[in-house]
Amino acid sequence: MNYDLEVDKLIAEIKKEKHKTVLIQLADGLKPMAKEIVDQVRDQTNAEVLIWMGSCFGACDIPSVDADLVVQWGHNLFKKEEKW
Amino acid sequence: MVKFMVLPAKYNKEVKLSSSVIDKCKGKKIAIYTAVQFLEQIEDVVIQLQQNNVKVVSSQPARTESEFQILGCDCNWDNLKLEGEVDAFLYVGDGMFHPTALVLAQREQDSFKEVIVYDPTSGNDKVLGLKDMDKVLKKYKGSYVKFLSSDVIGVLVSTKPGQKQYEVSKKLSSKYPDKKFYYFISNDINFSEFENFNFIQCWVNTACPRIGFEDSSEIKRSIVNLSDVLRE
Repeated sequence: MNYDLEVDKLIAEIKKEKHKTVLIQLADGLKPMAKEIVDQVRDQTNAEVLIWMGSCFGACDIPSVDADLVVQWGHNLFKKEEKW
Repeated sequence: MVKFMVLPAKYNKEVKLSSSVIDKCKGKKIAIYTAVQFLEQIEDVVIQLQQNNVKVVSSQPARTESEFQILGCDCNWDNLKLEGEVDAFLYVGDGMFHPTALVLAQREQDSFKEVIVYDPTSGNDKVLGLKDMDKVLKKYKGSYVKFLSSDVIGVLVSTKPGQKQYEVSKKLSSKYPDKKFYYFISNDINFSEFENFNFIQCWVNTACPRIGFEDSSEIKRSIVNLSDVLRE
């Protein structure tokens, strides 16, 4: 794997904020890594983890779900242009 | 309130341009861009270029978080926020979605500058020209003409938080008082739904602008982006 998933940062965030439900959302090329991420998070926290089975076009594309935390891999923060 | 966190999935290897790419850039003024995965290595690439007699500039396009970063949606010239003339563009990263934004952004410029693409994961490079987008841009121009001559317009609004432009799209009716606008909302835009609403003569896309370009180039129906029909 040539890309650093930084799962430790996610685990620290879950522990710090005591998140109970976490949705993980991966860009297409990273979707096969979902198992590794979920296994690590389950190992080290008590959070329930869901995997988003849908598009992940960028930080413009955040799923609307009932979770405490949505974490998206493969993108940066997005500045929405209201004027287009 | 749902909290949102992004992790860039940083590329964890060294990025060094190949001699083939260096040769293409030598003696030129280059505007360089990359994807978020390669941001940490881009300064090294800039130094490598400067050592090879290449003048390097960049910018922070409208929707990005960092200088040097390009997003697929920053595909209009003004979005690039690039100052001054350059001889060519260089994109460092994998995939073609981002460098194609640099081609599309130049669609109305007086002179087109080639987009050199270097993929550090494979070591391969290629050069993109306006001809690579020929089919897409011909279809798009046709869609624009169709919009002007249509009376019944469907407006595509996405529920994706970063793509929802419903408020802006309401300007359409004051700019085009003779046309009737019908608003459609969905998360992903599914072109097969168009067949259910066959009273629509032309569609206006207010979601990701790339839907109006490449995504719609294969379908018969006309779609034009909101930015182009709201432009003064």
